[in-house]
Amino acid sequence: MILIKFFLITVLSIVFLLLALSSRFRTYQRITVILLYLFLAFLILFPQTADKVAEFFGIGRGVDLIIYLSIAVLSLIVAILYAKLKMTERAITKIIREIAVDKSRECE
Amino acid sequence: MKRSDIAIVIPLYNEEKVIRQTLLDLQKERPNDVIIVVDDGSTDNSFEQACVKGVRLLRHIVNLGQGAALQTGIECAKRLGCKYVVTFDADGQHCPKDIEKFVEVLKKDEADIVLCSRFLGKAENIPTFRKYFLKTASLVEKLLTGISLTDVHNGFRAINIQKFPNFTITQNRMSHASEIIDLIKRLKMRYVEMPCTIRYSEYSLSKGQSLMNSINILFEFILGKAIK
Repeated sequence: MILIKFFLITVLSIVFLLLALSSRFRTYQRITVILLYLFLAFLILFPQTADKVAEFFGIGRGVDLIIYLSIAVLSLIVAILYAKLKMTERAITKIIREIAVDKSRECE
Repeated sequence: MKRSDIAIVIPLYNEEKVIRQTLLDLQKERPNDVIIVVDDGSTDNSFEQACVKGVRLLRHIVNLGQGAALQTGIECAKRLGCKYVVTFDADGQHCPKDIEKFVEVLKKDEADIVLCSRFLGKAENIPTFRKYFLKTASLVEKLLTGISLTDVHNGFRAINIQKFPNFTITQNRMSHASEIIDLIKRLKMRYVEMPCTIRYSEYSLSKGQSLMNSINILFEFILGKAIK
């Protein structure tokens, strides 16, 4: 148990550190991120607490609740990233098209 | 510079062996039309080979896909003040003689878009598998859009862009063929299918769409619709 907790906390810390270093957050975003980090760390250290929350929602174990929630959140993230990717792709297309039309010439 | 109402748009991607001959044949048949070649970031010598006298040559610095190349060509045709766009394949499978009757329909204002169908015309050496494969594709298309066409994935079309300046292809890769049908429906364009001759050479056969790819196209199309 100690080993897995140590591993999970490390991974969680790396993920949040990378997030914090790679983007600039506004103050309220910073607070949300820190609260989320503390909440997740707490869950890793005291997993039994999740059981009570799960019981309230009528789900057997706390771990199950966490798995359901993670799948939902991850799917949402994938969808958002996909939409952003599409937007970037469209922007790139626009740029390349503009360059192509601007540089077009009639062959001699 | 030549002034013509007709722009022939040719998307080009890695066709160094045939592009020059296609362009020369085309010029012989259509000396007064603007020929726009959009090189879609080819990795071979296609760009150099496509530099035939009188051809307007464009280049995507990065490969984007056939749909994007077509749209770039349409954009260029608009800026040159052309009224009609004819899309043509680079590999020489289409017959330049067919262009006249396509454009004639647009000029007489009998339709806004003319599509080529190899099943109405005579297709030379069409393999049985490809025949049924393409027929299945048009059936799926009919179910998805309600527009009945016999030959969906054919690169030979003539479009009245003066009347439809908002005819814009946004799907960069192969699913643009399906998107065009979607556009016909959305913009309420009058469409007509005309027979044309397709020459199936060994070369064009080796480059055609595979079955696996069609699944990708369908997937791209549905996803693209959901995201828009």
